[in-house]
Amino acid sequence: MKIGSLVASAALLTIVTACGTTGGGAPAAGAAGKVGIDHPRADSDFWNSYMKYVDQMATELKVDKLNPTNSQNDVSKLVSNVQALTGQGAKAIVMAPQDTGAIATTLQQLENKKIPVVSVDTRPDKGKVFMVVRADNRAYGTKACEFLGEKLGGKGKVVQLQGALGSINGRDRSEAFAECMKSKFPGITVFSEPTEWEGSKAASMLQTRLEQNPDIKGIYLHAGGVHLAPTLQVLKTKGLLVPPDDPKHVFVVSNDGIPQEFEAIRKGDIDATVSQPADLYAKYALFYAKAATEGKTFKAGPTDHDSTIIELPNGLEDQLPAPLVTKENVDDQKLWGNQVK
Amino acid sequence: MSVKPFYKPDVTPGVHGPKPRLARFRDLTLVPVIVLLLVVGAFTDPVFLTGGNISNILQQQASISLLVLAEAMILIAGKFDLSLESTVGTAPAIAVMLVIPAAAGGFGLGLPGALVIPLALLVGAAIGAFNGFLIIRFQLSAFIVTLAMLIIVHGLLLGPTEGKTLFQLPDSILYLGSVTWLGLPAAIWIAGVLFAVGIFVLGYTRAGRSLYAIGGNADAARAAGIRVHRVLFGVFVIGGMLAALAGILETGRLGAIGSNMGVGWIFMVFAAAVIGGVSMDGGKGTILGALTGVLVIGLVQNILTLKGVSGFWQPVVYGAIILIALMISRIAGGKAQD
Repeated sequence: MKIGSLVASAALLTIVTACGTTGGGAPAAGAAGKVGIDHPRADSDFWNSYMKYVDQMATELKVDKLNPTNSQNDVSKLVSNVQALTGQGAKAIVMAPQDTGAIATTLQQLENKKIPVVSVDTRPDKGKVFMVVRADNRAYGTKACEFLGEKLGGKGKVVQLQGALGSINGRDRSEAFAECMKSKFPGITVFSEPTEWEGSKAASMLQTRLEQNPDIKGIYLHAGGVHLAPTLQVLKTKGLLVPPDDPKHVFVVSNDGIPQEFEAIRKGDIDATVSQPADLYAKYALFYAKAATEGKTFKAGPTDHDSTIIELPNGLEDQLPAPLVTKENVDDQKLWGNQVK
Repeated sequence: MSVKPFYKPDVTPGVHGPKPRLARFRDLTLVPVIVLLLVVGAFTDPVFLTGGNISNILQQQASISLLVLAEAMILIAGKFDLSLESTVGTAPAIAVMLVIPAAAGGFGLGLPGALVIPLALLVGAAIGAFNGFLIIRFQLSAFIVTLAMLIIVHGLLLGPTEGKTLFQLPDSILYLGSVTWLGLPAAIWIAGVLFAVGIFVLGYTRAGRSLYAIGGNADAARAAGIRVHRVLFGVFVIGGMLAALAGILETGRLGAIGSNMGVGWIFMVFAAAVIGGVSMDGGKGTILGALTGVLVIGLVQNILTLKGVSGFWQPVVYGAIILIALMISRIAGGKAQD
């Protein structure tokens, strides 16, 4: 019964998305060639901001883009969307494969057709990519670890609310956080809660862990968009939502850099967040896609926008900076979380 | 009220009615599993059996238990509703958007905040009524209708919110899910009372007993004078309202409405109902049994978290324990499952 329902729902979803993609508009012909864009999902605050930036940056950078498709976190939909986009005449593809392994064949086919691919946020395990545009997710975990470790003075207990361990970003953040704690702050015990990016699970797991270890003093949230509100709610019911100078304060570092996190930092509810640059993701994804259609090439080394391009076995990766936002710099207008309305 | 004797043979033999003694045990086939889990949990961690932890488990399961209650009723009546999980997120979200200002992501209608809970229940009832309308009036397959509705209703959350999490909520919707009454979270009281009502209604009232008759054999039930369509329609509406209430409690617990709230719950709901002895073919099972199913799932989740089982392996352990519970309930129940 359950398999049946899965198959049926997949079939229905495919029909629905297929309708969505074929209904796309007719873009004007451009000299440099059109860029096809697939968005990975429509249900997270970060990606929704990214989508808005893509539209905005496309105008700024004069990129001729086809109507973007959305693969709703499903690699099989991504594959069919890419086929639809190439069918519509895309000369370069911008995608964000959340499953970094299963996209290999598609990348191979695109390489055969000589269509360059820019991968945003994730690094495909295999298959040629023109450029990977992503922030270093391991650095997120390390930054969060260093911040919490210093605040706790190198001892005590911390919890990390993990994302989905099936995704490279979830894994990178988890591993880097745990490794950094182990090497730099061996006096700190780390509890890792596999929340699958789900608020409901995050609330339950955090509540249970706090019941078991009332002396937990630090929390790292892998995704502010889903983990922030449940965490604050749990801390509130436990009476732990107190200002940073109160000895009962639990230090919270979030990850994403959405406006609600900034608000919570200003109020003193949480202490820091790693700002994942949604604006830069969109800007450089389109920048490299356009450059690719114009036949430009890039080499490893520092760039003109405070980042470094590194060499991968299957292409290049531009590692964009991801600043740690605390009370000191939360009002910086350059942060994308301060620009969205 | 007792059951009319002339259609009693269609009903699960001996599950209820005037002589419930031996039959009562059949609802409780999962009790050994629960006892086992309590023992395992007690050895796993000293915190496990404390009042605080037990109250946490119950609170964490309160909203999904309302979905199980709804699904158990619908399954007993021989129908199916997959769309309940989408109602969990959509009903409170639509209600909230009607109330909050446009700047916070609402529709900007400026309705008073006190209306948000009635509005959410109304949205839930409307979704249930629409399901019931298609399934009963047009005789469409309940499975496919509610599958399509699962997708549509979730889309009705994604569309208006554009996938953004609703953070600024009126206090009225946060109240039920976060307040404490007499030392226990209100959600536990609410779920407890509703289950008590469910057990009573399905066990001892004419309307409730008629669900078994319809689920067992709709034609016979109709011949026996039961207004099959009206009862089924009512069940779908109540199911939608329970799902909306589950969403309200969950919103209070989480403090925000994310765009994937409730997504994926329906599998857990079916697992809980079926290991609790509710038949997928209709006509069999009890609300009390379904409740024990929810408790098993809640206890397993809690033990896995306390034990700190690696995230890579949790799904395997979790699924295996559901299978084992199913087998134990099969052995203890002594009857073939379907």
